Amino acid sequence: MNHSLLRIAIVCTTIAIPALGQDLVAIKAKTIHTITGPSIQDGVILLQNGRIKTIAKASDVEIPWSATVIDASDKIVMPTWVLAHSSGGMRGSNESMQNVPWLTVADAIDPASTYFEGMLRNGVGTVHVLPGNNTLLAGSGLVVRPFGRTVEDMTVAANTGMKMSLLARGGSRLQKIREMRRAIAEIREYLANFHREKAEFEKEQAAGAIPEDKKWEKEIDRKKQAAVDLIEKKLKGWLYVPSFAELDEALRMGKDLDLNFVLGANLDEAMPLLTKLKAAVVLDDALEYFETDPETRKEKQYCSAKMLADAGVPFALSLASSGPSSYPWWQFGTCVRNGISRQQALEALTMVPAKMLGLSDQIGSLEVGKLGNIQILTGDPLQATTWVDTVVLEGAVVYERSKDPRLKYLFEAAKKADEPKATSKKDEGK
Amino acid sequence: MTRPIVQVLLQASVTLLLTALATAQQEVTAYTNAHILPGGKPTISNATMVVSGGKILALGGADVKVPDGAKVIDCKGMTITPGLIDASFQSSNNQQDLNEQSEEVTPHLRILDNIDPEDPLFRRARNNGVTAVHIMPGTRNVIGGLGCVIKTYGSDPKSMVIKADASMRIVMGAEPSNGNRAIRGGRVNSMYYRRPTSRMGVIWSVRRAFYDAKEALTKTQGAPGDAPPSPGTQIMMQVLQGKLTAVTTARSEQDLRTALRIAEEFGYETVIDEAQDAYMVADELAKKNAVVMLGAPSAETISGSAAQDGSAPRSGTVAVLASKGIRFVITTGTNPSALPLIREAMFAHRFGLGPQLALDAITIEPAKLLGLDDRIGSLATGKDADFVIWSHNPLDPAAVAVSVHINGMSVSQPR
Repeated sequence: MNHSLLRIAIVCTTIAIPALGQDLVAIKAKTIHTITGPSIQDGVILLQNGRIKTIAKASDVEIPWSATVIDASDKIVMPTWVLAHSSGGMRGSNESMQNVPWLTVADAIDPASTYFEGMLRNGVGTVHVLPGNNTLLAGSGLVVRPFGRTVEDMTVAANTGMKMSLLARGGSRLQKIREMRRAIAEIREYLANFHREKAEFEKEQAAGAIPEDKKWEKEIDRKKQAAVDLIEKKLKGWLYVPSFAELDEALRMGKDLDLNFVLGANLDEAMPLLTKLKAAVVLDDALEYFETDPETRKEKQYCSAKMLADAGVPFALSLASSGPSSYPWWQFGTCVRNGISRQQALEALTMVPAKMLGLSDQIGSLEVGKLGNIQILTGDPLQATTWVDTVVLEGAVVYERSKDPRLKYLFEAAKKADEPKATSKKDEGK
Repeated sequence: MTRPIVQVLLQASVTLLLTALATAQQEVTAYTNAHILPGGKPTISNATMVVSGGKILALGGADVKVPDGAKVIDCKGMTITPGLIDASFQSSNNQQDLNEQSEEVTPHLRILDNIDPEDPLFRRARNNGVTAVHIMPGTRNVIGGLGCVIKTYGSDPKSMVIKADASMRIVMGAEPSNGNRAIRGGRVNSMYYRRPTSRMGVIWSVRRAFYDAKEALTKTQGAPGDAPPSPGTQIMMQVLQGKLTAVTTARSEQDLRTALRIAEEFGYETVIDEAQDAYMVADELAKKNAVVMLGAPSAETISGSAAQDGSAPRSGTVAVLASKGIRFVITTGTNPSALPLIREAMFAHRFGLGPQLALDAITIEPAKLLGLDDRIGSLATGKDADFVIWSHNPLDPAAVAVSVHINGMSVSQPR
């Protein structure tokens, strides 16, 4: 079932995105952060057939009488977040066989997974689901929206790339690098053999040894097709580079293949190499780590995002599926705390990943013609106390905090716990 | 012959050093234009704090007079809070070092004997604004021993100590029995060859220790020639007499109820550590006036995901406790992936706790719980000059500790 979907997607390489919302929707906002342009105070966004039709100051727009109005005139309106690399929402994200480029995440995505629910609650509108980091050549990914009952419903774009990983679990780093080289060499060899056989066939046919009406029938092995696409640069590779130690090899691989790098946090020892990264990279959800000088025992804290920012390399952020780094505001806070600008932090979950996915004409900012993927926030996106109030995907409301059953108890308790009146009445000390 | 001269020289240099240190401490410093959250009280804006000799000399609004000759530090835009207190801090000692395995009930062991001032976790803690910590023995023993409160800066444990025997740890639940197996000959080379092997066994070990103490208490007036109670029993007696706080580690709903029951049975004040499921038994906790220590709110999830000992830490637990008027503190606890303490308070704030309560839960509340609120946990005249200057509102995820002071001295490293 999913294979047919994928094949269709592969055949038409242009991305056809079905619109969820068909009607006119108007969103009134206190502040609109467009990401690519200046912020607009007291603005209005008009959506038609799931796309942004107008975005302007309220005084300059007349809201059509037929539009459904979402009143966020005391809230912040932004594009939904984009995740360029995630292994969430799958039932089993790591194949234990190491060389399985023919697999696809479409067969593992569980639309009912609480992961997608959580992502929507955090304002994520687009997720590039890829296999986990434990497999060498792990299979193809899929760009989905965290909303829908089937994988087909959720799919935004297919043919977005193959996951590769240099993570050595239990083995040595060098061994992993050697395995990767061998795997790629085997595909090259396979392809060379295939072309040689075909050339021989044609030569023999021309010489009359094979009847003229006989056609060349051999096809690329289906299990090898994705890997062949990878080495022919028809398919992008998403290479997980766990640390500084594998970066050199990753850069070498990037010369022959069309690769996006997903970098682990531990990069300080490869700082001079970072400037050699030409394109944007994705960062692991863990951004900070400690390094102890073996001689002085002095400990230093590093932040991978800051190192890349200093090297002038654009980066996209990741979100963990649970814990503090599953919250966008915490990831932004970590960036800003380490000296990265707010704008650069915000772009790391909007424009940068959108560009990496080749979807920057559709998502990643609020601009006329782009998809109506919009989140409404109760406050500043960098504050701990801010909540996602509403998520609109392609013009349709897909999440409302007031109707989120899992948050209900939280806000009831919070209301009661509001400020000092409740302070320890049994304040006897000790 | 040269020895006396060397000695004199040495003594002289030591005296010189000490005087130099003393004068450094006598220096008067005024922090002005700050936003001060004094702990337990509302914010003072445009505040001045005067510090000298390791103590706070004066604190108040802009009307506080800066003494002549004082060094003035302008803290415009910055926020000052009391030094944070982590009421359940884990040092980086390995489990073998934190848990004595020769016995499962060891009330008389002192974690103070196991403190390494060079532990990088103290440095990390103080760089993140934590100036005092309560450390307890590990959670593998039923009764692990005595906890202590120390400041996070010092060259040897003695100079760090604020309160040597501050608490005694009792552990409920499956952790003290996990994996335990009976000894069947051979060498006892693993901490798993031991009792108890079940929850029932764990609780029985607690009871028996208290029974022994009870019996010893009735005997204190006994006949001359009676052997004194064992050191462990003497500690248990202090708990029964209300002289020492028993901190009970209990995570799941079941273990929390057991902790309340045992405390009632033996009549000691209930302080519960790692109380992940506290939201499920909030009414009972309120009824018993229990104090709750909650570890790592950042690890809580919206739907309460399965965690240690069958507990389900759920976002907003402290908000529930606050709404019921239960006393609580926020700690980093035993969770290895806990964030710095200030961020844990920030998460509690996100999940519904007001900003002042969130900060109180890591400053004045733990100070009260540990019986040290006359010295630390809040900023007021005469208290220890343990404070943190933050870049701005410390509950902002982007805030950083600009400088951290213990006894008036700056002890933080630049980032």
